[in-house]
Amino acid sequence: MSTTATHAHDDDHNHAPKGISRWLNSTNHKDIGTMYLVFSVVAALVGGGLSLLIRIELGEPGIQVFDVIGEMMGSEAKQFYNVTVTAHALLMVFFVVMPALIGGFGNWFVPMMIGAPDMAFPRMNNISFWLMPPALILLILSGVMGQGAGTGWTLYPPLSGLAGQPDMSVDFAILSLHLAGASSILGATNFITTILNMRAPGMTMHKAPLFVWATLITAVLLLLAMPVLAGALTMLLTDRNFGTAFFDPRGGGDPLLWQHLFWFFGHPEVYIMILPAFGIVSHIVSTFSRKPVFGYLGMAYAMASIGIVGFVVWAHHMYTVGMGVNYRAYFVAVTMAIAVPTGIKIFSWIATMWGGSISFKTPMMWAIGFIFLFTVGGVTGVVLANAGMDIAMHDTYYVVAHFHYVLSLGAIFAIFAGFYYWFDKMTGKVYPEWAGQLHFWTTFIGVNVLFFPQHFLGLAGMPRRYIDYPDIFAEWNMVSTWGAYLTMTSTVFFLIVTLIVMIAGRKSVANPWGDGATTLEWTVASPAPFHTFEDTPDFTGGNPAAHPAE
Amino acid sequence: MSSGTDFSRRNRRTATTAFVVVAGMVGLTFAFVPLYTLICQVTGLGGTPQVAERNETDVSTQEITVRFDANVDRSLPWDFAPNEASVTINLGAEYLTSYRSTNLSDEAVTGISTFNVTPLKAAQYFTKIECFCFTEQTLEPGQSVDMPVTFYIDPAILEDELANEVQTITLSYTFYRTLDDIPDEEPEIISEADQVITTAQVGSF
Repeated sequence: MSTTATHAHDDDHNHAPKGISRWLNSTNHKDIGTMYLVFSVVAALVGGGLSLLIRIELGEPGIQVFDVIGEMMGSEAKQFYNVTVTAHALLMVFFVVMPALIGGFGNWFVPMMIGAPDMAFPRMNNISFWLMPPALILLILSGVMGQGAGTGWTLYPPLSGLAGQPDMSVDFAILSLHLAGASSILGATNFITTILNMRAPGMTMHKAPLFVWATLITAVLLLLAMPVLAGALTMLLTDRNFGTAFFDPRGGGDPLLWQHLFWFFGHPEVYIMILPAFGIVSHIVSTFSRKPVFGYLGMAYAMASIGIVGFVVWAHHMYTVGMGVNYRAYFVAVTMAIAVPTGIKIFSWIATMWGGSISFKTPMMWAIGFIFLFTVGGVTGVVLANAGMDIAMHDTYYVVAHFHYVLSLGAIFAIFAGFYYWFDKMTGKVYPEWAGQLHFWTTFIGVNVLFFPQHFLGLAGMPRRYIDYPDIFAEWNMVSTWGAYLTMTSTVFFLIVTLIVMIAGRKSVANPWGDGATTLEWTVASPAPFHTFEDTPDFTGGNPAAHPAE
Repeated sequence: MSSGTDFSRRNRRTATTAFVVVAGMVGLTFAFVPLYTLICQVTGLGGTPQVAERNETDVSTQEITVRFDANVDRSLPWDFAPNEASVTINLGAEYLTSYRSTNLSDEAVTGISTFNVTPLKAAQYFTKIECFCFTEQTLEPGQSVDMPVTFYIDPAILEDELANEVQTITLSYTFYRTLDDIPDEEPEIISEADQVITTAQVGSF
C-alpha cells in the first residue's frame, strides 16, 4: 500500500501477466471490470433462466412445471416456486445489476474518465471481486439445500425465522448477502477514495464526468446502507441460530423492526442500482446528440438529492403494516418529492437531445429506451407513493410491473446501453449495427409485452408471490409469458452475436463515436491498453478530450 | 516518489474515514433496536399506548367506548379472553378491567403479551397505569387468573384535531409463550393450542 501500482511495471504499456494468475491475482481495474461483467452475465443467465421458469409456470392457471421441478429438488411445488422467486430477485439485484453497473463499468471507466492509472486500492479491488463468486455459490446453495429459502428477497421474519423456514437454506442466503455486502462496502470505499483523490489535475468535481458523479454518489449510498443490511442480517442470523429475539415477540422483539431496518437499506439500494444507469445514459445521450449534457450541474446535484432523500422514504414500502395517518402523510410527501430531481434528469436528457445532431446508433437506442421505460416505471411509482392507492395495490402485480419497469427495463437497458457504448473500447471490436438494432427492438417489444400487462393484472387484484391464480387472469398472463419468450430469444441472439463478434469482429478505432464523445477513455486506443494514463492528463487548460468546435 | 507517498497517505485517510462510517452505521443499526422501542413508547408509533404512574387528568363529561380484544399465539396452551367486551367511560376517568387466562396444559407455562390500540392515532392518549402486560405471567397447570388493566384516556385527545373524532378505541393483546419457556419438543402442544385459538378468539372482532 506504500505506493500505488502505477510504477510497478516497466514502461512497456501492454505488459500483462499471463495465464490464470492474471485473473486470480489481478490488480488491474480493467481486468477486474471485465471479470465483474462476465460474472454478471453468468448470474444473469441463472437469474434470467429462473424468471423464465416463473413465466412458464404462470403462462396458464394451475401448476405446470413446478410440481416436477419441486420434486426433483426434494421440495414441494409451491415452496420451490417461492424459492425460485427469491433466488431470481437476489440474483438480479446483488449479482447482476450491481456487479455490472458498479463493479463492471465503474471499474472499467471511472479511473479512465478521471485520468487515473488505476483504482486507489488495486488489491482491495481484487478481494472485492473475489468475494462475489463464493457469495453466488452460497446463494445457489440457499436455493437447493433443504427446502430452499422461499422468503422473497425481503426476508421478512417470521417467514425467514425459525418458525417459517427452520432448515439451513435461509442461513445460506444470509451468509451470501453478508459476503456480497462486504464486497460492495470494499468496492464503495475504493471508488470514493479514487474519485476524491485521484482526479487529473484541473478536473474539479464540477468538471468530473456524470458517470463519475453517479458512481461516487452510489458508493456513498452503499457505504451508508449496506452496513444496515449487514447489521439486520446478523440479528436475523442470531435469532435463527443463537436464541436472540430481535424480531421475535415471544422474547420481547418485534418483526416490524426488521422491516424498518431492511427498507432503510432497501430503498437506497434501488437508487444504488439506478444511479450508475443515470450516469451512463447521460454520456450516451450527449455523445449521440453531439452536445454537452444540458444542465450538467443540475444533473449532478439531482443525483445527489435523489441519494439523500432516498434515505428518508423507506416506510413507503410498508404502508400496510398499520402506520399512523400522519406518518403515512409524511412518507407520501417525501416519496413524491423524489419525482422532482428525477424529473430534472428526464427533462435534461430530452433537452440534451433537443436541437442536437442525433444519430440513432445502438447505444442511443438503448438509452432512449431507458428514458422511456424508466419514465413509465416512474409514473407508476408516483401512483404507488400514495398510501391510499398503495394499500389497495400492495403486493399485487401492479407493484411487480412498476419495479420491473424501473429495474429490469431501466437498469438492464442502461447496462446494454453501456455495453454497446463501450464495447469497442473494451474489446477493440466493432459491434455490427444491424445486430445491435435487432437486439434492441426485439428486447424492447419483448419486455413491454412481458411487463405492461402486469399493470392490468395488478389493477384487477392479482397478488404477487403465488404459483397459481384464478382463471380470470389467464389471458394477460399468457400474453406476459409470450413476452418472456420473445425477450429470452432476443437474449440468446445477443449472446451468440457477441461471442462471434468478440472472436471474429472487425477492428475498431480509438473513438468510434466522433465529436460527441468527450470523455478521456476515448483518447486511448481500442481496446484500452493494459495500463492507461501513467502520464496524468492535464485538465487545467480545459478538457483534453474535447473536440474543437466545428 | 514523494508525491506517490502523499497520494497513498491521502488515500489511506479517505479509506479510513469510509471504514469509520461503515462501523458507525453498523453501530447505529444495533442502537436502533432499543431506540425503536423508545420511539414507539414516546410517540405512540404503531399504536403503542402511554404508561403513567397515576392519573393526573381531570374527568371530562365526554364519553368514549373502549373495546377489549384478546389473541393467543399457537405456542401458548392458554385460554385468554376479556371479562367484558367493551365499556363506555368518561375521558380522564380511571378504569379497571380484567382479562381471564386459563392454563389448559398439565405443566406450568410462562406467557408474555404484546399490545396495541387502534385507531393508531389514539395511542398517545391511551394511558395505562397498571397492566399484566408489563411483566411475564406464569400459570400453574389448570390455573385460572383474572389479569387486571388500569387505564384512562387523556382528555387532551379532544384538542387533537386529527384524533378528536375517535368514538371507539380497541385495546388488543396477543399472548405468546416466552421464548425461554418453549420446550424443545412441542408437537402435541401445537395441536392442542390449535384448539385453544378458536376459544380464545371469542370476544375479538
